[in-house]
Amino acid sequence: LRILVADDERLSRRLLERTLERAGYEVMAVENGRLAFEQLNQPDGPRLALLDWVMPELDGPGVGRAVRRQQEQREQSYVYIVLLTSKESKEDIVTGLESGADDYLTKPFDVDELKARLRTGERILHLEGRLVEAREMMRFKATHDALTSIWNRGVIVDLLGRELARSQRESGCTIVLLGDVDHLKSVNDTHGHLVGDEVLKEIARRLLLSIRSYDFVGRYGGEEFLLVLNNCNPQSAIRGGACGGASEGCEQPANADRDWSRTSQHELRRALE
Amino acid sequence: MDKAHSVSQASRVNLPELLSRVDNDRELLLDLLTVFKEEFPRLLQTLHRAVALQDMKQISMVSHTLKGMLLNMAIPRAATAAALLERLAQEETKTSVPEAFAAFEMEVQGLLPEMQTCMGEVSR
Repeated sequence: LRILVADDERLSRRLLERTLERAGYEVMAVENGRLAFEQLNQPDGPRLALLDWVMPELDGPGVGRAVRRQQEQREQSYVYIVLLTSKESKEDIVTGLESGADDYLTKPFDVDELKARLRTGERILHLEGRLVEAREMMRFKATHDALTSIWNRGVIVDLLGRELARSQRESGCTIVLLGDVDHLKSVNDTHGHLVGDEVLKEIARRLLLSIRSYDFVGRYGGEEFLLVLNNCNPQSAIRGGACGGASEGCEQPANADRDWSRTSQHELRRALE
Repeated sequence: MDKAHSVSQASRVNLPELLSRVDNDRELLLDLLTVFKEEFPRLLQTLHRAVALQDMKQISMVSHTLKGMLLNMAIPRAATAAALLERLAQEETKTSVPEAFAAFEMEVQGLLPEMQTCMGEVSR
């Protein structure tokens, strides 16, 4: 784990650097609060910080306040901050913690106590990592179709509304394709629902491959797919470019080893044109 | 025996304590003693100038740094003297600063040669 050490005093910085390296941390040491904030504010900056209280340019509590402000604004990863100080009064401790620090340690520090407090920080960061992961998974599930992993109906309809509004505002052209997979029921009845699901997943995958990075594809209904193609040239789109691209992608047979999920050219072309 | 003499006679560098603080890492301790030898005279000179100019902000900053260094090197009496100087400067008690500075100077008198001796023992 990477840790930032900020201390204007060279001796203390060296002592911390070496102690933490020996404890297995990757240490980044800086000599003032401004540099500390710059490092912590990087998207891939350290998430564990040991800050001296009194430093030139920006003191430890100042760095804490700045980091917390940025986190609120940008939804950045949490930074666990330990203030290192020779101040011991209750008022100072309260001030330090209220500035956004998670913990404090008095100088001269005890090595075992320092390591124990940093392990507490690691536990908090680990927990935060798991919460963020869970939140992202929930976010994905709320916006994507569970079977095909493309946008779900709510999102694709919302995206369609936005794109149409933008298109109107900019006098542009947005193409909307609603495709229906014919005879899916027959696939389900003949080969079973698992095979039918594979067909839908394969179609979704191919549709994704056939569109540009700024187009959208979503599952509109059971066997219906909605494509929203932005910034299109109306003339070439009418000549069949857009529909052709999407349907041709689905017309190719499946891999030989997955022949059982072969899709029908005829049905797909019919559906997408 | 005057006070300055008694202070210079006392052993201020506690080698076993220092070694335990760095987990018996002699290389690191030598490194720290070298940093101390380089930084301390410079900071003391800056503090001296700030006291002469009655620059309370500078006195506060430098004595704070010195206090930290001395605490890290396990020299508590000198660190306490630096802490007093820092507090007086923060409170802008200008009249008491010269006396506190003199007391601090007395505490650190002869400290560098002691550090040098300590370095010799560590590298042995």
